[in-house]
Amino acid sequence: MSGEAIGIQGITKKFGDFVAVDDISLSIAQGEFFSLLGPSGCGKTTTLRMLAGFEAPTSGRILLEGDPVEKVPPHQRNVNMVFQSYALFEHLDVEGNVAFGLKRKKVPKDEIRTRVAEALELVALSSRSGSRPNELSGGQRQRVALARALVNQPRVLLLDEPLGALDLKLRRQMQIELKAIQREVGITFVYVTHDQEEALSMSDRIAVMSDGKVAQCGPPEEVYEHPKEEFVAGFIGISNLLEGKVESGGRVRIGEDCLEVPDLGDGHTEGESVRIAVRPEKVAVDEIGSAAYRIEPDMFTVEGEIESKVYLGVGNQLTLKLGNGGRLVALEQATYRMRADEQWEVGQKVKVGWHPEHCMVLG
Amino acid sequence: MDHSLDPGESLTSKRFWDWFIFPGGIWIALLFAIPLFLVLALSFGHVDDFGRGVYGFSLDNYRDVFDATYIPVLVRSVAYALATVILCLLIGYPVAYFIARYGGRYRYALVAALVIPFFVNYLVRTYAWVALLADQGLVNNLLVDWGLTEAPIQMINTPFAVVGGLVYGYIIFMILPLYASIERMDPSVVEAGKDLYGSPFQTFIHVTLPATQAGILAGCVLVFLPTVGDFVSAQLLGGPDTYMVGNLIQDQFFAASNWPFGSALTVVMMLFLAVWMVFYLRRASKGEAEVL
Repeated sequence: MSGEAIGIQGITKKFGDFVAVDDISLSIAQGEFFSLLGPSGCGKTTTLRMLAGFEAPTSGRILLEGDPVEKVPPHQRNVNMVFQSYALFEHLDVEGNVAFGLKRKKVPKDEIRTRVAEALELVALSSRSGSRPNELSGGQRQRVALARALVNQPRVLLLDEPLGALDLKLRRQMQIELKAIQREVGITFVYVTHDQEEALSMSDRIAVMSDGKVAQCGPPEEVYEHPKEEFVAGFIGISNLLEGKVESGGRVRIGEDCLEVPDLGDGHTEGESVRIAVRPEKVAVDEIGSAAYRIEPDMFTVEGEIESKVYLGVGNQLTLKLGNGGRLVALEQATYRMRADEQWEVGQKVKVGWHPEHCMVLG
Repeated sequence: MDHSLDPGESLTSKRFWDWFIFPGGIWIALLFAIPLFLVLALSFGHVDDFGRGVYGFSLDNYRDVFDATYIPVLVRSVAYALATVILCLLIGYPVAYFIARYGGRYRYALVAALVIPFFVNYLVRTYAWVALLADQGLVNNLLVDWGLTEAPIQMINTPFAVVGGLVYGYIIFMILPLYASIERMDPSVVEAGKDLYGSPFQTFIHVTLPATQAGILAGCVLVFLPTVGDFVSAQLLGGPDTYMVGNLIQDQFFAASNWPFGSALTVVMMLFLAVWMVFYLRRASKGEAEVL
């Protein structure tokens, strides 16, 4: 990765009084797989459409490899888009669809033929080059849309929820393929999705968006493990929030109990209210009265009661009512250590624990 | 849907519902098929000394249809119809496109505004054009009053007036199918065209037009078919030089009292239009198969 592919400098987009994108700045590196993640209406698609040139920013600048492009119409921008609906040309066959951009750019016929053949090979569709889009399955249509964009060797490929219309199994498979294709061609991908799992599994970096702003931007691990805001913690994975008060010596009081938080950080004053978030998969649950089975010695522990249980196959999702009135969700992964007859029962009293370093402190 | 596969429907009830075809079937047989057959039969007949049609069998009427006297009328009818189709397409496409893509919440109101004038009878609407285009009509009076011309311009009784009347009379049959197909088109297809380096014009030619070809075809056929046989526009807005086949047929029945010849003309015109209809239906059913 070297150099900046896209520079977004303070762009704002208003539709009438509605601010869709509110003063966003981002720098996307060359060859990066960058995701814009957020719920619908957060401004991620509008941002992508401004990169493509379908919307003009109300204010701010967009640099494509250093050149300002906010006033360049889409057909003169060296970026290509994979549309959510695929937007294939139904009157052309697969080959005609893929060749469309090269024909408009007046690329010589021989070169078009070889490049189209290469692109179709890349997406494993060489055998369907003569088919009409309506003869293809959803996954195949998606590949045609991808080949149609990639064949132009754009500086940046924009993808607007490209896997949204596929079923779960196909989506997982395409996630892996998309990532592999991106590595192979080395083109910068800007990927819009509302699916946190998709963003986590494919991206080099993620910008989590909410209400037209970037809430947090960073690598998947950072965004997941160290969310800065409650919104980010909640949107990426389920998070348990506990109300607490800062006490002296980096400790936080949660109800009756005191918890030492290693990465509390500076700038917290005594008596300040904070929220502590814990991921469900970091919470350990043990029966009361039996020997510690999952809970480890250096864990922070509280007592609680199982309020509900959801069987997931690969584990259980337990909702726990804590003694101090709070609620926690624990995701218990089934492991080789688990006894086959092990069962939790609703109403059962349990001991709940987690490592203090797994606490995320939100302002 | 194959009803025999529907387990909820017994054989008896299926037979029961089959009876419902009879009222409509009888209606069509009595009032459509039989008159049509009479026209066909009469077209092989001749006129007796009192000017009444007599059944018989001769091809004289058909020979007369292709007589040198009438060829210009037939050619003119097709030419006027083609000109009407082209003008309707050129005027109707931008209108339909604008309403479908930019009409927003006013879309249905705009479509209604287009349709409402067509609640008025075609004959009455054409009379309105007479009032507009006559030598002492509204347009000429304004032109003279404003000093743009010294004397009224000859507008009525010209081919332009006749084709204009036809365009005005039938353009809704162009706009509605165009509107439907443009509205159905996925707007992101147009964006994809631009994204793939198509200028707005190229995108229109290579993406929008092909994506709406079903509507274009339907509109052209729906305008062409009634226009070829139209007699109202030529009768009210035209003169002897704009005589169309519709006028010719009408005159055979009401002025010349040569029903057998009028019948033969009708049959020839119906066959001619049937060719176009079959062409259209084939294309349309093929297009539908592609969509499914």
